[in-house]
Amino acid sequence: MKERGTRKDIREKKKKPPSPHEAVQESQRTLKALEDMRNDTMKGGGIELIEEQHRRGKLTARERIELLLDEGSFEEFDLLKTGRGGAFGREQTYPGDGVVTGHGTIDGREVFTFSQDFTVRGGSLGEAHSQKISKVMDHAVRVGAPIIGLNDSGGARIQEGVDALASYGDIFKRNALASGIIPQISCIMGPCAGGAVYSPALTDFIFMVEDTSYMYVTGPNVVETVTHTEITHEDLGGAKIHAEKSGVAHFILPNDIMCLREVRRLINYLPSNNRQRAPILDLSDPVGRTDPALDYLVPENPNQSYDMKVAINSILDGAEFLEVQPHYARNIVCGFGRMGGQTIGLVANQPSVLAGVLDNNASNKAARFVRFCDVFNIPLICLVDVPGFMPGPEQEQGGIIRHGAKLLYAFIEATVPRITVIVRKAYGGAYVVMNSKHIGSDINYAWPTAEIAVLGPKGAAEVIYRKEIQSAADPEKTLSLRTEEYRQTYVNPFLSARRGYIDDVIFPRDTRHRIIRSLQFLEGKKRERPERLHGNIPL
Amino acid sequence: MLKKILIANRGEIAIRIIRTCKRMGIKTVAVYSEGDSRSLHIREADEKAFLGGSRPEESYLAKEKIIEAARTHMCQAVHPGYGFLSENPEFADMVAQSGLVFIGPPASVIATLGDKMTAKAFVEKLGIPVKPGHKDRISTFTEAAAIAEHIGYPLMLRPARAGGGRGIRVVENSANLRSAVEACQNEARKAFGGDEFFMERYIDRIRHIEIQVLADNYGNVIHLGERECSIQRRYQKIIEETPSTAVDDTLRERMGEMACRLAREAGYRNAGTVEFILDESDGSFYFLEMNTRLQVEHPVTEMVYRLDLVELQLRIASGEKLTIWQKDILRNGWAVEARICAEDPARNFLPVTGMITRYATANIKNVRIDSSIEAGSFVSTHYDSLLAKVIGWGETRKDALESLTQALNAYHIEGLITNVDFVNAVLNHPSFIAGDLSTDFIDEHFEHGRMKLPPPEEWLHYMAIAVTLVYHNRQFLVHESLKPMMAKVGALQQTKDHFTYMVKGDDDFFALRLIKNPVPQSWTVMADGHKYQIVTPEFEFYRRRLKLRIDGKTQFFHMRYRENKIWVAYRGVTRVLGIYSPLEWKLYHYMPRPKVIPPEDVVRCPMPGMVVTILVKTGERIYRGQDLVSIESMKMESFVASPSDGLIEKINVKPGQAVETGDILIQLKTDTVPTEEEVDIFYG
Repeated sequence: MKERGTRKDIREKKKKPPSPHEAVQESQRTLKALEDMRNDTMKGGGIELIEEQHRRGKLTARERIELLLDEGSFEEFDLLKTGRGGAFGREQTYPGDGVVTGHGTIDGREVFTFSQDFTVRGGSLGEAHSQKISKVMDHAVRVGAPIIGLNDSGGARIQEGVDALASYGDIFKRNALASGIIPQISCIMGPCAGGAVYSPALTDFIFMVEDTSYMYVTGPNVVETVTHTEITHEDLGGAKIHAEKSGVAHFILPNDIMCLREVRRLINYLPSNNRQRAPILDLSDPVGRTDPALDYLVPENPNQSYDMKVAINSILDGAEFLEVQPHYARNIVCGFGRMGGQTIGLVANQPSVLAGVLDNNASNKAARFVRFCDVFNIPLICLVDVPGFMPGPEQEQGGIIRHGAKLLYAFIEATVPRITVIVRKAYGGAYVVMNSKHIGSDINYAWPTAEIAVLGPKGAAEVIYRKEIQSAADPEKTLSLRTEEYRQTYVNPFLSARRGYIDDVIFPRDTRHRIIRSLQFLEGKKRERPERLHGNIPL
Repeated sequence: MLKKILIANRGEIAIRIIRTCKRMGIKTVAVYSEGDSRSLHIREADEKAFLGGSRPEESYLAKEKIIEAARTHMCQAVHPGYGFLSENPEFADMVAQSGLVFIGPPASVIATLGDKMTAKAFVEKLGIPVKPGHKDRISTFTEAAAIAEHIGYPLMLRPARAGGGRGIRVVENSANLRSAVEACQNEARKAFGGDEFFMERYIDRIRHIEIQVLADNYGNVIHLGERECSIQRRYQKIIEETPSTAVDDTLRERMGEMACRLAREAGYRNAGTVEFILDESDGSFYFLEMNTRLQVEHPVTEMVYRLDLVELQLRIASGEKLTIWQKDILRNGWAVEARICAEDPARNFLPVTGMITRYATANIKNVRIDSSIEAGSFVSTHYDSLLAKVIGWGETRKDALESLTQALNAYHIEGLITNVDFVNAVLNHPSFIAGDLSTDFIDEHFEHGRMKLPPPEEWLHYMAIAVTLVYHNRQFLVHESLKPMMAKVGALQQTKDHFTYMVKGDDDFFALRLIKNPVPQSWTVMADGHKYQIVTPEFEFYRRRLKLRIDGKTQFFHMRYRENKIWVAYRGVTRVLGIYSPLEWKLYHYMPRPKVIPPEDVVRCPMPGMVVTILVKTGERIYRGQDLVSIESMKMESFVASPSDGLIEKINVKPGQAVETGDILIQLKTDTVPTEEEVDIFYG
């Protein structure tokens, strides 16, 4: 049956094809429309809000991306994506839905990024916003490239109701599933409150900008309503609090520019994914460089402290060390460096803070760091000077058993090359925990100043010779005599060396060379574990 | 000739003496204290003898122990070096009594000349001018007040038994006399074990000129010209040179003749130095004192006269005759010495202690370095803060200064604060270059260890170029390291050959354009419209020194790298420079200004434990980083350092007291000026 055309069809059929001139005009209109649309979106929330953002000392979402990535390398996704519009009669949609997403390069290597735009609805997270983030995350996991999130958001977009919550869930799920596959980095560059905090919390490293960023689950208003205490944003969740007290932030930087530079610096230490090795950066620091200063680092008086960072700076290439959580649990030092060009993860007790003791925070800090290194194929170097676990009810009630177990578990689980150097004290359980031979370390060296024993000389003498000391005419003298005897016999690295628990007692000056030689032969280390879904780390 | 000698000293002078002994085939015995058990000087010597505890009284001042050691080790002579027992007549006497040769003048001469008052009386008789002052020792304030009226203000208090300028106090008016007397006596008691002092007129703007003399056992006396030691801080010399710009041939002859006359009349033997003060306004000079030993600054004389003073000392002590006559003595060029000390010029040259973690010097023509340190050396409170002496020689004063400056530009020391850049700044000050010196030079031209004059623009350009090249080439290296991880698609891109950077210090800002020349390691750099041609070395990023050829001339820099900022020093000018890309710079002005954090005025306990000792007293001036309290915790003793500069206002704890984390140990009255970022980098 022949269809009858409508009036319009007939009219159009009759219409002449456009002249060449008209065709050009038409296509220019299309280009112009695209251009307008792009320009509109690029402006984000508009000039006024951008100025407001600047006044607060914050850069815009796009400026941040420009700084983060190599010049001109950014490729944007979903520029034109908008939300469906929400309930409560708010049908309006917003350009880009408050987030800029895409990929680009850092020193030539691809990374994915999303940058929340505070000028668009306060960077609030709605469905489209979340979908955009999910899209880059999916890409990042698929191609094995790091993802860097620049967070500056007021939180969930309330108008979108449960959709907004679902959207958070989508991101959390991706964060957790991408964990250990690609490095995930979060920069908090504005507010990050409520449920929103859990996305950064699930990533590997959190950067915070001083004075302009804060993170908390419930804000000062709620705190005041519920507990009747007044508290500022800074005291509740400022960068300083999270860097020093809570340990939530791994790095804090004074401003946006420095923060983004530091991200680039961190990324340069890391592989792009768990199938790669970290890049090799040759600072032409001789592998065989010795440092006589190390021979004298450990003071003759065993009760005196010293700064472990002297040893760290000395053994690493170019004394370059990127410390993770430098202000938190300072009794343990964690961070990245390079040896012979290869990225290594360094875990060291710090005798100048709390005598380098292991406590709850230190155990947590180091355990998480060890697991990161292991999963991204970064060899672990451990410098040990630990008098033991921190005694006292505060620690016991705080769960030192649980927390200490995390570090123990993390080391045992690690299959990357593992090297330990015992610098001085290595007592009791803490000795075992600090990457000892017994828990699977590959190479264990000791300096001649090492003290490896179950407990300190005095304590040991008190236990072993209790009766003798009690019955002695001069208990003090007997104790000191026995203490010295114990020190001579047990408090040195040689007993362990005879057992083979220590592979060699080395000259401190040669530490760098010896570690690098070990790293060289460990390059081919096989890393196999029987199949299982995952272990059950005592969280 | 002597076969074996004991060196009753430590540090650079012990090493310096050993060096000459080795050349002459004389065996050496070094002595050492507990704290010096791994010092360089005992490794250099043929044998070593342990003396005792680190405190000088238990070791380097323990006369019997030293003589005992000399005997056990079968030495023939004892060289006292400078400081310690070098001008102690009892020691010289004891050495001679035990049948050993004391390398220096006889005890009686030391006694006469070592005591300032008897020395003055003695030289006045010889017609040598002496500064107006009171001849007798003073021991009480009442006495001092009466005499002060006679001499007139300003006047100077000076401990009777003194050396190295310790204990000296200048009093501007009678109101300050009492406190000055107390301070002088306190310091004298601590340092020399006596509290008597002298008073004399204080002359403004004086130059310190000294004459090196040598006398053998046969009455022959010669002088080796002058040394000018006007550049002093806290009345102690830090830069010395010979010849002096203030001394012409006539003056040299007059001073030299007087110095020789004094030595001859006093029956002097061996090397000694007669110190004068020169009032440049009228060319008059006065006898100050005679140092009856080898001086710290003797190397400048050695370089200019091409003699080894230690060798001459040993020959004289062996009984040889002087073989050079005054008329044969030839001067060659100019030599300038800078003393490298462990002290903080920004904090009134307060001595600092700690371990040297990095140490590097450059081999530069015409430069001599007398040092006793290496990476790993520990600088303790027990001894002098002098670490090394760097001496530059040249045909002219300008050349000598240039060699010395080059050496100091390349002199890198880490782990503790030193005055390397400070002395370098002095040497490069226009007034110093012009030879316009006085003992007030530092107060006049420096403030808080920094030059009052702004540095020349060109130097700052050099510094900006040096740091930017380091930064740029390191960035390039990072880029190269990531090549295996880059996309292979489209990887064959043209690389850029010109780069723009903005370099910012506290007060300076430079726009730099680096243009890669076709020749490797060669750059054209535009800095604020000035064009420089640079040749770089192969970069070795672990090094802390950089040698660049800028417009055909070699320049050294030493620096400390931070990823975002680089601390750099050149000719004593230091800057912390941040390097920014044009984009970063465009956005930089939006960044919030760093908050000025008021200095912390309480010292909190960092850990639970027990107070062991309190190292300061109420009212004492303290500096940031200075240890205030020691606390025992976890069976370890550790120190709590001051968070700020200021005065101790209140001490809240006692030794033996248990303390908790966060307890306020000490309250401070802080200075208003907050310390800068640079200091952080210093400690880093």
